[in-house]
Amino acid sequence: MTRRLLPWAGLGLVVVVTLAAVLWPDGGRSDSARAHALAEELRCPECQGLSVADSSEPTSRAMRADIRDRIEAGQSDAEIRQAMVDRFGESILLRPEGGGLGLVVWGLPVAALALGGGGLVLALRRWRREPRLRATEADEKLVDQTRS
Amino acid sequence: MRRHPLRMVALGVGVAVAALAVVLALQVGDDQLQAQPRSELLGDDAPDFTVTTLAGEEVSLDSLAGQAVIVNFWNSWCIPCRQEEPALREFYERHRDEADFALVGIVRDDTERAARRAVDERGIEWPMGLDPGGRAALDFGTRGQPETYAITPDGLVAGTQYGPATVEDLETLLAAARGQR
Repeated sequence: MTRRLLPWAGLGLVVVVTLAAVLWPDGGRSDSARAHALAEELRCPECQGLSVADSSEPTSRAMRADIRDRIEAGQSDAEIRQAMVDRFGESILLRPEGGGLGLVVWGLPVAALALGGGGLVLALRRWRREPRLRATEADEKLVDQTRS
Repeated sequence: MRRHPLRMVALGVGVAVAALAVVLALQVGDDQLQAQPRSELLGDDAPDFTVTTLAGEEVSLDSLAGQAVIVNFWNSWCIPCRQEEPALREFYERHRDEADFALVGIVRDDTERAARRAVDERGIEWPMGLDPGGRAALDFGTRGQPETYAITPDGLVAGTQYGPATVEDLETLLAAARGQR
């Protein structure tokens, strides 16, 4: 009985931990870790393909200082991201948000995976249900003749 | 003809992957920040900046209330800034005596010493504010220099210019700041 419940308990634990991480994303992280994580999410406005965390350009330095100030002032990660978007637009985010083009970028791979997975399940079920080759009447006659 | 479910699934996956490839292809090689044609601040309240000029005066958005303000981000080593200077000079000469007009330069990504020397050598006469830490540059969402912003007398951002402005560009910005556009 206990053995049977063990996987369910494990699954429940994973769900609880995931929900806690999603609903309480700032929990347990130091301010500097938060600042660094946020800086990694933002695009350096003066560089090609670098994050604010990786850039030594003046605007990136100012952005890092601004992030630290905002964290000290008690702002949430979402508020800090929004403050940057208000100045630079959505394109300041290296990871697209969950709307507009971001929805497409996040949604399409998930849709492709789901469709692919669904297709695989369908295929496996079909292969299990149906023999690969159907015997013709002539085949069956041949088998009967051989048996008799 | 019987529709094969697996064929439909494969088609769906193919369409999703192709759509993703198109989206990604449109993004590759396109620096979205640099390509962005307009400031997010357009139509919004201008950042409440405060800078100290090379002459030691404090200039803030509040101190310029009631004036059409042109803010120009500049530095001593930037070639496009240098190319823009004659236009700024001519524009400033045209309007400097108008009571409702202000042109403020803000030093971006430069040392005070280099900025001061350039201002002296090149005879720049409009107020040039220092922005240690890049606070004002960040609040305006600047991506480089030169960048020019037009602010209405009641503090709204009415226009922006990325890159060197001509006299005509500056006049257009001023007209926008005065609500004449």
